[in-house]
Amino acid sequence: MFFVTYLRRELRRRMRQAVFVALGLALGIGLVVTVSSASAGVKKAEADVLSSLYGAGTDVTVTGAAPQFKPPSAGGQAPKGATTIQGGPGGAQICQNGKCENAAGQTIDHLVAQYSPIKSAEVASVARLHDVTAATGSLTLTDTSITFPKNFGAVGGSAPPQPSTFSVDGVDTGHTALGPLSSGTITSGHSFSTADANANVAVVDSGYATSNNLKAGSTMAIDKVPFTVIGIVRQAQASSPNDVYIPLARAQALASEAGSGQSLTGDVNTIYVTAASAADIAAVQHEIARLLPHDTVTTASSLASEVTGSVANAAKLANDLGKWLAVLVLIAAFVVASLLVMSAVTRRVAEFGTLKALGWRTRRIVVQVLGESVAMGVIGAAAGVGLGFAGAAIIARVVPTLSAIVPTSTGSFFQQQSVSANGVSRSTSPATATHTVPVPLHPSITLGVIVLAVILALAGGLLAGSLGSWRIARLRPADALARVA
Amino acid sequence: MYTLTGVTKLYQKGRRTVPAVRDLSLMIADGEWLAVQGRTGHGKSTLLNLLGGLDRATEGTIELDGIDLGALRETRLTRLRARSIGFVFQTFNLVPTLSAAENVEAALVPVGTGLSERRRRVAAALESVGLGDRARHLPSELSGGQQQRVAIARALVKEPTVLLADEPTGNLDEDTRDEIIALLERLWRERGLTLVLVTHDTSTARRAQRVGVMSKGRLTISVDTRPAREAQPAPAPAPAAPAPASGSA
Repeated sequence: MFFVTYLRRELRRRMRQAVFVALGLALGIGLVVTVSSASAGVKKAEADVLSSLYGAGTDVTVTGAAPQFKPPSAGGQAPKGATTIQGGPGGAQICQNGKCENAAGQTIDHLVAQYSPIKSAEVASVARLHDVTAATGSLTLTDTSITFPKNFGAVGGSAPPQPSTFSVDGVDTGHTALGPLSSGTITSGHSFSTADANANVAVVDSGYATSNNLKAGSTMAIDKVPFTVIGIVRQAQASSPNDVYIPLARAQALASEAGSGQSLTGDVNTIYVTAASAADIAAVQHEIARLLPHDTVTTASSLASEVTGSVANAAKLANDLGKWLAVLVLIAAFVVASLLVMSAVTRRVAEFGTLKALGWRTRRIVVQVLGESVAMGVIGAAAGVGLGFAGAAIIARVVPTLSAIVPTSTGSFFQQQSVSANGVSRSTSPATATHTVPVPLHPSITLGVIVLAVILALAGGLLAGSLGSWRIARLRPADALARVA
Repeated sequence: MYTLTGVTKLYQKGRRTVPAVRDLSLMIADGEWLAVQGRTGHGKSTLLNLLGGLDRATEGTIELDGIDLGALRETRLTRLRARSIGFVFQTFNLVPTLSAAENVEAALVPVGTGLSERRRRVAAALESVGLGDRARHLPSELSGGQQQRVAIARALVKEPTVLLADEPTGNLDEDTRDEIIALLERLWRERGLTLVLVTHDTSTARRAQRVGVMSKGRLTISVDTRPAREAQPAPAPAPAAPAPASGSA
């Protein structure tokens, strides 16, 4: 009780100094809490982006190589099955397998793979690897259609039409818990069942459905084949979800390989893999790369480096500048607190000398001084945590929504060729585009951060008090009392 | 009882060595009142510090009831001060943030007395100095004389055997000075304390049983009014060491 009374009275006597020390510590602690909460929020935002890119349960993704478009040799033939548009004296014509017809009023619709094919048997091989819990394959495709106006090619007729595309994913209906649909939520209708394996049914992304006025029960054309929409799925925007999902077997039957036009029956071009544990991911990645050396094997961490945008900048800001700023402010607060406590001890030398004359042990006096410093630290911790919460709230309100720029592949069907008199042609390979998704930032203050803040503040108080205590320990009572005289 | 034998205290001031107390031998009987006079800087306060264990002699021994203070470790010395020696200072040396009662209580903290016993003794100590109704007042709310009374209560609350007072009336006016000295004298008689009082004031010194004068670190007893059976000779100083033999090798 005497300890507490003495402590309280001393802090009240040196109220201004105590408030100054506590405020300094509070500022440092507040900054630590704010930066930690912002960093946690950014990390969560990054994790949300990555987890939605990957889907729930996916640790490793295997994709076939980007398809290669081979330019035809001079005067050479287009690949078998390829559709070409040629201009001639009679106007534009659509030609396939040597047969040509007038392009006006015609619609071309093709379903083409975005990546090179991987045999379905490889999915089972991957699933059998050590440390792999599950694996499933899918076909990532693009449906591209172009409709020529009726007066296309005539003198004064319409300009060349622009193709419209939407993405299609062929999903293994027996393994929907892993793969592109695993993170989605069915908002209308239902998802695939195993009975749908060979049916012309589709699950449509909610954004695409809204844009194209589709709902459960609607009919849509994929590669000119009518599909019934059985469900609408809502996916995280960060995952740049595909527009339409159909059973894998139907996708394999309808699609062809980009460039060669080869059938994709029995093929996939993406494999989703679940590792036994987070610690096994690197090993699994390595094993799959050995098994499928021509394909691309990625993990969340390798994909993370490709995600750019303000979310990445914010992560860097929080981790680098924010962390060091907080450390510097804390050090400054500790130094100021120590100097102020030392100064107070110096002013109280006569008082401590008197206490020693009364029979107080040095240890008892040191505990008293440390108690005063720790009390200032506790006040600083409480104020600092409050400042941290306020800082986190300000960040949540002031900082605009972050953005993540995620690379995607368009897999456009159209290869542009021009054949000149000497037969030289040019072609373009499928483009790789980026997809910008908004990422809300929610700074979060965890119990761990609060505990850290309290520990830092107490450490600051102890450090400040310990320097003063060292002074007291060296104090000779006679010298101290002589100062008063 | 104090027994000082050949006590010397030297201070280092830069390159100079300053003798504050020189070869002092003295005995102070239990219950005796010794007043020490002298000019400023001649070693009075140093003598008091040595008697109270606040400082250690450079040479010689100081025994209190047969215990050599110079041989004690700091913790034992501190415990001795806590239980047996009370101090009263010229500038009162009260803790400004504590009330009169809390200042008195501060002397009982190292003794380890229980809370209720502590409060009882504090109240009694303040009553004995006539400040029972000022227990909650801070030092800033008390006059100089009242503050010194609180300091006396603090010194005596632990019922010491020795009371060391360093110019207790130095900061007080004449009337208050007389009150304080009268109080000290009363308490000395009532409790059988061994009282060593440093003072500039001759009239105060004359109230003591013995008066010593410190001059350049040496103490000379100028007045001794103790009964003959109490007066004891000072211990003989240690014989001088024989001079080293001289001569060439």
